[in-house]
Amino acid sequence: MIKVIQPGLFTTIQDGGRHGYRNIGIPSSGFMDQESAWAANKIVNNDREESLIEITLKGPTLLFNNNCTISITGGDFNPLINGLPIKMYESINVKLGDTLKINNSKNGARCYLAISGGIDVKSIFGSKSFLSNITESYYLRKGDEIKIYDNSNNKILKKNKLKFKLNRSMDVFKGPEFDLLSIKFKNILFESEFTIRSNSRMAYNLDEKAQIGIKSIISSPVMPGSVQLTPSGKIIILHRDCQTIGGYPRILQLDTNSLNNLSQLKSNDKIKFSLITQ
Amino acid sequence: MKASLKSYFIYNESSILISYDNPIDSELVYTISNYKINIEKHIKGCIIEIVQSINSLLIIFNKDKVSSNELISELKKIENKESNYLKSNKIWQIPVCYDTKYAVDLESLANDKQLSPSEIIDAHKSKIYDVLSLGFLPGFMYLGFTHEHLYCERKQTPSLDIKKGSIGIALNQTCIYPQDSPGGWHIIGISPIDFFDLGSKTPCFAKPGDKIEFIEISSKEFQKMKKEKSLKPISK
Repeated sequence: MIKVIQPGLFTTIQDGGRHGYRNIGIPSSGFMDQESAWAANKIVNNDREESLIEITLKGPTLLFNNNCTISITGGDFNPLINGLPIKMYESINVKLGDTLKINNSKNGARCYLAISGGIDVKSIFGSKSFLSNITESYYLRKGDEIKIYDNSNNKILKKNKLKFKLNRSMDVFKGPEFDLLSIKFKNILFESEFTIRSNSRMAYNLDEKAQIGIKSIISSPVMPGSVQLTPSGKIIILHRDCQTIGGYPRILQLDTNSLNNLSQLKSNDKIKFSLITQ
Repeated sequence: MKASLKSYFIYNESSILISYDNPIDSELVYTISNYKINIEKHIKGCIIEIVQSINSLLIIFNKDKVSSNELISELKKIENKESNYLKSNKIWQIPVCYDTKYAVDLESLANDKQLSPSEIIDAHKSKIYDVLSLGFLPGFMYLGFTHEHLYCERKQTPSLDIKKGSIGIALNQTCIYPQDSPGGWHIIGISPIDFFDLGSKTPCFAKPGDKIEFIEISSKEFQKMKKEKSLKPISK
């Protein structure tokens, strides 16, 4: 069991996501930055989609009531065990009574804490990923007790050669409504830098606005990574917890890598769109 | 079945959007449902899920098993096939209370449309609606099509606190909010029914192609029904 001493800003349990239910309106959820989460699981010998702890901007303090093996990947959050720095991207043996403090992010927006064996929390519609209105909790709170599986026999001492790197260039496909844009705005889209304003697991909003928005469309499917343009000219990039259907024109679509990269950016970071040529 | 005009669009590395240019009507709901069933039946092993919407289908697939272009050519082989899909004749009767205590936008909408609130209520319950699509929120139903007098744009500023069970109208559609939510539809009533059951393997009782009929209830009846746990609609 792991006890939440301080929950951090927004700490959740995530896995590979909830698949097969978008048709009734249930979002996919799952790791924001899949690459980093997969790496964390791999280091502790888990299936890559196994449930783990996703940490956003300001990390939690956790007390371990079991011996276990963990790994931390993703953005650099300067993690400490009993006050001593530990390395990221390698497996760490944690002992009963150890305190893990994950600090504020120095680089990147999210880090991933995997525990060998995964997390023992109820799966709903095939996934343990926290989601408002679907799972009991939406984020971890002070005093929560996270059950983990006893995996003490799982002998692993692995390092991962992956290096964490921020990438502000977003590779995009044309969205279904791309051709409704003026030539002028298409040029602006690919030549300008855009600034991230508010962001959450549902969506990233951009600061810059289009001079002319476009009219809403018939409610149509959207996906994580869909870039919407609202009638008032706002640009929104949907993310993992986004709705399944939306009425704003879908002008671009981020590819999977870019969606992972976007997850590591935060307010005031700049991004650029780059069209994938097919 | 009428010929359909559709296009295949590579949405991202692992999804394809099939959009229809047909007029949006009950026939199109049938055409799309029919195609979805055929895809589920004939294309095995590579599809993760299919999202059915009002005039499109989004096919999400495993890109390690098939490429977009391979999948599109597989899809085209079965695009005009008849399926054993039967037009649903299920009509779900949904109790609705139109009291302005809950129908928070009824009066302003009536003003805009230069109708009386009761004319709006009568027009709303006069039709039997097709379930066009489920989505946006878990169990949110898009229903079509409303009486032409009720046509309206979405609200300019979305409400932040729409109550669970609220019945909205916008464009030529009506909808049901299965949970408390922000939203841009004009709220003209509320239903005491649970539209999304977390504990069930089929959390939504209705599916695209089914029909919905609204039955007016009083505020008192609403209060009484609201107290009954997990109230289900009647189907006829």
